[in-house]
Amino acid sequence: MSHGYDWEGEKEMIKVSRVTIFLYLLPMIITIGLITLWPIIYTFYLSFTNYTLFNSDTYGLIGFGNYQKLIFTTDTDLFFVIGQTLLYVIVCVFFFLLIGMSTALALNNQKIKGLGFWRVALLVPWAAPSGITALIWKFLFNYDFGPINQIGRVFFGKGFGIPWITTPWGAFVAVVIVNVWLSYPFFTIVILGALQSVPQELGEAANVDGAGAWQRFTSITLPLLRPAITPATILSAITTFQMFTTVYLITQGGPITSADKPGFTEFVMIYMYKRILGSDVANPHYAFIAAFAIMMFIILGSATFLARSLGQSRRKEALA
Amino acid sequence: MSDQSMNASTRSEAVSTAQRIVPAKARTEEGSLALTLQRRFLPGFGLGLIYLFLTLMTIFALFPVYYVIQASLAGGQNLYTTDLHILPANPTLDNYVYAFTQLPLLNWIGNTFIVCSLTTIIGLAFSTTGAYALSRFRFNGRDATLNGLLAIQAFPALLALPAYYLLLNSLGLINNLAGLVIVYSAGTLVFGAWNIKGYFDTLPVELEQAAMIDGASHFQAFWRVTLPLATPAIAASAIFMFIGGWNEYALANLVLNANDTAGSNLTFILGLYSLQSDYHTPWGIFAASSVIISVPLIALFLYAQRFFKSGLTIGGVKG
Repeated sequence: MSHGYDWEGEKEMIKVSRVTIFLYLLPMIITIGLITLWPIIYTFYLSFTNYTLFNSDTYGLIGFGNYQKLIFTTDTDLFFVIGQTLLYVIVCVFFFLLIGMSTALALNNQKIKGLGFWRVALLVPWAAPSGITALIWKFLFNYDFGPINQIGRVFFGKGFGIPWITTPWGAFVAVVIVNVWLSYPFFTIVILGALQSVPQELGEAANVDGAGAWQRFTSITLPLLRPAITPATILSAITTFQMFTTVYLITQGGPITSADKPGFTEFVMIYMYKRILGSDVANPHYAFIAAFAIMMFIILGSATFLARSLGQSRRKEALA
Repeated sequence: MSDQSMNASTRSEAVSTAQRIVPAKARTEEGSLALTLQRRFLPGFGLGLIYLFLTLMTIFALFPVYYVIQASLAGGQNLYTTDLHILPANPTLDNYVYAFTQLPLLNWIGNTFIVCSLTTIIGLAFSTTGAYALSRFRFNGRDATLNGLLAIQAFPALLALPAYYLLLNSLGLINNLAGLVIVYSAGTLVFGAWNIKGYFDTLPVELEQAAMIDGASHFQAFWRVTLPLATPAIAASAIFMFIGGWNEYALANLVLNANDTAGSNLTFILGLYSLQSDYHTPWGIFAASSVIISVPLIALFLYAQRFFKSGLTIGGVKG
């Protein structure tokens, strides 16, 4: 592992004038500063104002008012939205791990014939463009015409139909299925990679079927896989927490369960998006949503930081 | 967009961490016991279950792909059909013909292609020069710049949605492809700079120093020596920059669809979405359009995989 960073200091690097260094960095710094950093700072600033679409000339600073309203109002949406999102993250990650682990174990079994075929077939969802597949899945879930319900009708009679998109739990399960479909191949690859570096005898031990095998698996294989699985799990949880496109394209955050609450699959990013660009929003309250965004940033930032420091300490441990 | 690229890099990180860590810990003498255990249980029953599981998973993995292809070939349908076929009864290319001739499909593909290409070009130009400075020069604030880039990465662009909207609106870039290019390319830079810098770090600086002793300027050394050697990293980064924009919906909708004019100025994913939400378009045509747009992308992805192993280096982790 050439870590660059550790030994560079002793090395003679290329010497150029300060102006030259600055010129090399300039395009990147200007673009990031203007297009990435400025909106972040501006969001921070907005969160302390009362900026809406209609008072853009007269708005002013109001301190922590938006945060107060978000956290302490009795009818706040914040906890409902975060709760739904966390539930989604937990259910999705559970299935990522379950399916990723079982497919990896199956693909690591040398007695299975046609491993090459199975492997390619199981990894197809990874190569598929996620935005387009979301729209395809939306049709598969269609109540009247979608093939899932149609196949169900072949087996269970004409009256059969699962109300996928239109009921709260139907929609929730639908977006879980799609996210699992999109994401399990990543876990298959990570876990398969880790399994293949388990020494042969130990790897075979994990593949034994029956009661003893389960114990082998939990006491030998699983601890060996943990360093690979932990960072992958945290990172997937972060990605799922901020998931937007797939869920939005399928449910638009719906369905609504009661008039004063956000939709059942209205996860954090979708909640923000609908409050700014939703067709039913007459007067978007930019400042309020900015405060919401800053709170999400604090959650995501701490999770990312945690993931990174966990990953680093593990890497050091492994190299020691 | 930045999520996408970050994802790619963390994937490679996780995979390589896995490969590195596991053997170091695997020191245990349980192997022989495990083998006896394995021999005692009849493998036939278990194997059957594994095949059953693999078959079910394959159906799950391939069903959407199969279904969209068969629907795209089914002809002569009305709006929607409730007939279920395993293979279309009369396969035809009508849906494809319709998609190309009656829909603004080529406009959408063209828009997406222009946006993604410009994003990739700008992203590469700005991140390679930045990465070169961060890898080869020593200056005050270098560490701060590197860490600052990572910190920015933790803030998803979507969170700054209100600010983006107000910024682009005041610049007159709403409903303008250029606005999208600017937002996307900024989103590629952190990933690009870190990934390419990581690769530059693995190349010996002596090569450039030798070139400079022979009279090359620092820019010539960068352009003629370093860049060609860094092709794998540049190719991998370019592909992630390109693919990221192809799939992106939220920012594209923010920038392009503000007036809700479903028309020829959309990117592909927006157009496809408008097709599906409008109930006058038969599903077969939507399916054909999806296939048309997915095939080049999947081909690119499969072709590009050769670069992923050597070209993704984020965090200096490179085997």
